[in-house]
Amino acid sequence: MTISRRELLATPLAAAVAAALPRIAFSQAGTTFRIGALNPITGAGSPYGPGMQKAILLAVDEVNAMGGAGGRKLEVFAEDTQTKPDAAVLAAKKLIDVNKVQAVLGTWSSGVTLAVMPLTDEANLIQMNVSGAPAISTLDKKDLVWRYQATNDRFGAAFAEIATKRGYKRPATMAFNNASGIGNTEGFKKAWEKRGGKVVASVVYEPSRPSYRSELQKVLAEKPDVIVTGSYLPDTTIIIREWFQSGDKNAWIIPGWAANPDLVKALGPEPCEGLISVDSVSSESSAAFKQFDAAYNKAMGRSALTNVYAPMAYDMVIVLALAMEAAGPNATVAQINAKIRDIANPPGTAVSTFAEGKAMLGKKQKINYEGASSKLDFDQYGDVTPDFGVYVIEKGELVRRDVVSIPADYRP
Amino acid sequence: MDAYLIAVGTVVLIYALLAIGLNLQYGETGLINFGHVAFFALGAYASALLALRGWPLAVTFAVAAAVAAVAAIPLGLAALRLREDYLAIATLGFSETVRLMLQEERAITQGVQGLPAIPKLFGALGGARADLAIFVALLVAVALAAWATHLLKTSPFGRLLRAIRDNEAAVVALGKDPARYKIQVFMFGAALAGIAGAFYAHFLTFITPDQFVPLVTFYVWMSIILGGVGSVRGALAGTLLLVAFLEGSRFIRDLLPGVAEVQMASIRLAVVGLALILFMLYRPQGLFGKRGG
Amino acid sequence: MTLVEVANLVINGLVEGAVIALPALALTLVMAIARFPNAATGDVMTLGAYVAVGVQGALAGAVGGQLFALGIATVVTALACALVSLIAYQWIFRRLGRAAMVASLLASIGLGFLIRSLITLAVGTDQRTFSLPLVRAWNFGGVRLLPNDVVIAAVALVVLALVFAWLQYGRSGRLLRAVADNPDLARLSGIRSQRLMWLLWALAGALAAIGGVLLGVKSVVMPELGWEFLLPAFAAMILGGIGSPHGAVIGALLMGVGQELSVPFVGPTYKIAVAFAVLFVVLMIRPAGLFGRPELVR
Repeated sequence: MTISRRELLATPLAAAVAAALPRIAFSQAGTTFRIGALNPITGAGSPYGPGMQKAILLAVDEVNAMGGAGGRKLEVFAEDTQTKPDAAVLAAKKLIDVNKVQAVLGTWSSGVTLAVMPLTDEANLIQMNVSGAPAISTLDKKDLVWRYQATNDRFGAAFAEIATKRGYKRPATMAFNNASGIGNTEGFKKAWEKRGGKVVASVVYEPSRPSYRSELQKVLAEKPDVIVTGSYLPDTTIIIREWFQSGDKNAWIIPGWAANPDLVKALGPEPCEGLISVDSVSSESSAAFKQFDAAYNKAMGRSALTNVYAPMAYDMVIVLALAMEAAGPNATVAQINAKIRDIANPPGTAVSTFAEGKAMLGKKQKINYEGASSKLDFDQYGDVTPDFGVYVIEKGELVRRDVVSIPADYRP
Repeated sequence: MDAYLIAVGTVVLIYALLAIGLNLQYGETGLINFGHVAFFALGAYASALLALRGWPLAVTFAVAAAVAAVAAIPLGLAALRLREDYLAIATLGFSETVRLMLQEERAITQGVQGLPAIPKLFGALGGARADLAIFVALLVAVALAAWATHLLKTSPFGRLLRAIRDNEAAVVALGKDPARYKIQVFMFGAALAGIAGAFYAHFLTFITPDQFVPLVTFYVWMSIILGGVGSVRGALAGTLLLVAFLEGSRFIRDLLPGVAEVQMASIRLAVVGLALILFMLYRPQGLFGKRGG
Repeated sequence: MTLVEVANLVINGLVEGAVIALPALALTLVMAIARFPNAATGDVMTLGAYVAVGVQGALAGAVGGQLFALGIATVVTALACALVSLIAYQWIFRRLGRAAMVASLLASIGLGFLIRSLITLAVGTDQRTFSLPLVRAWNFGGVRLLPNDVVIAAVALVVLALVFAWLQYGRSGRLLRAVADNPDLARLSGIRSQRLMWLLWALAGALAAIGGVLLGVKSVVMPELGWEFLLPAFAAMILGGIGSPHGAVIGALLMGVGQELSVPFVGPTYKIAVAFAVLFVVLMIRPAGLFGRPELVR
């Protein structure tokens, strides 16, 4: 990453000099395309941010190794959102104003994305995130915002579908008290009630508590056959441990960012046996994930399965690069943005790497990039409409047992 | 670069308003308020909620100040009964309770989802001009707050406040009721924080309860410690120093290629902690404060 | 609310209260003698938990049994944090002895930040857990008791009992209690204070460390572990009355139980607000806390 660091050192000097000269309109056709990696390196998102940043860097290296995209090499400027909207706004301003990025990728928390969107929209930049809040879709007036994570409502619908398929009749919910946790369980409730069912108990619990016994007891008192959660790793660890020790026998449906190999590592295989972990999935034979996982493992020392957002961040860059290829040399941000659905949605030849895509585009073929995180079909709001993998933890391993599809036009 | 600097400057000025208010409360009357962020939060939410219902910003800002001031009354009353270390903890508990209420009363505040799309102050001017206008408005607000504080200090009211801080028993013996004055100071400091909150809300255009955590209060305390308690100039200098450090560390990281971003965050926290300790040990009066003052 | 539900809530509250009692005790002793709320206590708890996790991990397999390794780890971390606490006193708080209370408070906040940042620099921010056998709860007709919780509460009680015995019968312990009870009188009667201060700070560090381990056993070890518990510990200290060791413990237990019992009425989020409401009310009526000495109040 010496390119961006040298660039960065020069920037304050260059900026000072540039400020003294009459302002020159900044043309979009520079020699590099500048990407802002804006991730939660610290704060609540810190389990995922560093991995996301690494994934972006890996993707950029991959693209540059193939000679860049649309005749330009990619350049990355990385900043930390601290998982706080106000810190993120300053970081975004620095990226936009000082580093002059043309796309801001990888915001994680809904709060951060909602705070940063007005800035990127104002500057007509592409924004890509993994946040869940519904408001992001409705506030995306310029169609510049792309969401690589299923919305809370979709997740909820997937949970409902899974619960129905497995024959559960009495679900209860436990939600971490934040937008995403509550969003997921509310999404489940809406989908479940639409099928004529009833949620027997719901609890919202506070972060960072040492014990969730009372909350768990409240839910278990209604004797549910499955508990659906909108939770994160630390609280899930505590809850599952306490549940296991209390001897109840209900099932669990948990989001993939919480029920992952780290959970098994913390609790051991026995308490985790049979837990259902849900996450968006790439198509069965996708080479994209395997290739990415290998590179990620090498760089981070752990599998990408421990960080569901890393493949999404990786895909962000690949999609952007393919769109740049499709838009041709010297394309503006708007032109690149317009090509995103072209290269990511069907119809088209399915490709799973940048190399393949670039080759196909070179032959003027229409492609459909199936990513490492999901098949990346964007709907009218720029949200992905992925399939969901139903992974069951068996003997300490996550085994995919089923795939669930939610219609692209699903509305709660 | 300018848009970024203006944004940083805006944050500095918002914190400066908070610092001037806290400085008044602690510096002039010795009231230890560790719940300052509560007034910040109340001001932000009050203004945002009303603005989202279409009220004009001039009115919502005034309401923000009023709401914060009124919320300070119970705290002011508590200050009368509690010794200073209890007050510190009680005020901390108060600010956490306020945050929890903002989080739980979803019907009013939309809870953890937060309030997006808050009308931007001077939004009609568009983009960069609006940001500049906000910055200028804050400059005016800070100048007014500083001037008001100065007036307060040099007035008979101010002398009375200092007398209360230095020897309350004597003041009581003179037949004055310290309680009233302490509460008024608390309210004024809180009102300033409320206005800062309103600026914050209409600058960011998105607020959530978890932005109003005790850490914000500690940063404001840090600012007045750095700059020197009891001095408005100190409050401004301290805020500038603090924000410059927190933001500047972004650029420093790029000069230290071996350091990953995760480590930089730890280093930042370590430096803040170390600075607090060292300032308390070797320069408790801060940069501009008077020794023993 | 059925009796079974109440019983379960009370049990939960007692266990949490027992864990909080340790840092509350550390806080109350320091507050009474050094005259300031030591906000670094939370991060010393965190440090205690991390050191113990490290030691237990290092001993894995080499020593018999996970519990035994945990026991050794606890002793090691108590000593380590006692040392850290001593150093903090010697370099920072001793020098701030004559300064305003706020100075020591802010320095302790700074110390807490420093400790936390050094931990994350050293080992990162991933969660860690203690290796412990998972045992099913005992079920007495709906009233559940987790064996792990019993062990946690037992350890807390044993530690507290030891400290109380020392304060009651140990030579230095009695001196410490005297100073905590009435610092001015103690000074007048010429009790040698330097060694006593060292004992105080070492004890405070050890108590916080053990509290951190217990907390970590119950939940997960993360950088913010102790910081999140600072406020409840402070609240317990104030409720019980500053300078009263048994006040701190009773305050902690009352807070724990009170919070849990309030959940069916106000929901889990307002639990901590209930703690403050109770605290506020008690302080308005009895500014010295339940067992505190009225003379210590303004």
